[in-house]
Amino acid sequence: MSKDLNIWLDNLLEDIESVQFRRKSSRRVRVDVAAEALPALLELLQGHASYVHLSAITCVDWIEEDEFELIYHLWSYEAHSLVSAHTRIPRDPGVYLSIYDLYQPAAFFERDIHEMFGVYFEGSPDMEKFILTEWNGPPPMRKDFDSEAFVNQTFEWEEYRPKWLEEIEAEGGGITTRPEDVRR
Amino acid sequence: MSELQKIPVQSETTTVGGSAKRTNPLAHVFDDLMNFCRARSMFMLHYCTGCGAIELPPAMTSRFDMERLGIQPMVTPRQADILLITGYVSVKTLKRIILTYEQMAAPKYVIGICSCTVNGGMYWQSYATAKVLKDYLPVDVYIAGCMPRPEAVIEGLKDLMDDIKTGQAENWKRYFQNYDHYLGNQQKLFGEDWQTPTDIIAEARHYGLMTDNTLGEHTALLEKHQRPLEALGMRLKNREKQARE
Repeated sequence: MSKDLNIWLDNLLEDIESVQFRRKSSRRVRVDVAAEALPALLELLQGHASYVHLSAITCVDWIEEDEFELIYHLWSYEAHSLVSAHTRIPRDPGVYLSIYDLYQPAAFFERDIHEMFGVYFEGSPDMEKFILTEWNGPPPMRKDFDSEAFVNQTFEWEEYRPKWLEEIEAEGGGITTRPEDVRR
Repeated sequence: MSELQKIPVQSETTTVGGSAKRTNPLAHVFDDLMNFCRARSMFMLHYCTGCGAIELPPAMTSRFDMERLGIQPMVTPRQADILLITGYVSVKTLKRIILTYEQMAAPKYVIGICSCTVNGGMYWQSYATAKVLKDYLPVDVYIAGCMPRPEAVIEGLKDLMDDIKTGQAENWKRYFQNYDHYLGNQQKLFGEDWQTPTDIIAEARHYGLMTDNTLGEHTALLEKHQRPLEALGMRLKNREKQARE
């Protein structure tokens, strides 16, 4: 029964035209769906195909395509298989539906993504700050946030000129790549 | 009597720098004894912020055995002598470190382990970590390495012991003497309204460590924002009394 489940699911997903379906191994499936169809797919997977465990929601910032990619990882304890449902939403305004009503752990992941990428999930129970409670800047995991520039602006560096190095430099040696050169 | 007078007696007054100064060979005996004892029994509060903490269990337990030097872990900051900061310090953690440090009773010593406390280490690009620990607290010993081996940790602790024994480890005084500088760096990171429950200026006055650098523009800013400490409200529920009413 449980092995058949995967075969039926594969057949179904292959038949739907707008769904891109790729089985990578007996335990991994990648599905690409449109943003409008994703909640329905998740409902199908959870309700009828035993994918009851939401492992994680991942977000990828594709800044050149001006899109966020959201990846929902679902695990089935019966079919022993992981479905990764990929979907893309426009980067601006970066709003998507929450799947809290289907999977309650989603609240945790959505709050985290909201904090790190600034994607707003409609219907999620709590979109408050989570880990970065004392952070007032832009969402730091976005590609357009330049962490290095921020660091150079905010922090100061320690000068490191020990005596032994001066002795080596006097003999014509020394450090080939200084930290200042790497930091730009 | 005449024989006794021939015995050479060390003169009680010698001229140092033009002024007469009393030198007593026993004058520093108690200080030296205190420093010796202090160096041989140190309680260590290890604030395990990063990966360097993984080197501490072997350093503390039977393999390298820190306790043979008289150093052992302590559970509260108020009873600890050493604050050991092991690894990267995020901005949020730094606040807690400063709170912990200010609670410790003087004399207190800070040891920064790993490259991250020196200059950000491998997290130098990170928006979330503070880079130079020395800017926010007076650090006595840095133990560099990513991560330093337990031998290096013990070597660093021995350095600190030698400094204490010779009376050189007095960096904790610098926190009181240059409080304005440290507070300024803290305010730059945490915002203008940053404050801690410990009144450092009053403590500096108490220890007699007020200098020109203790007060300044940053402490003035602190006074502007400072709220007095308020005890948390506590109310007891008396069921009998409630029933009578």
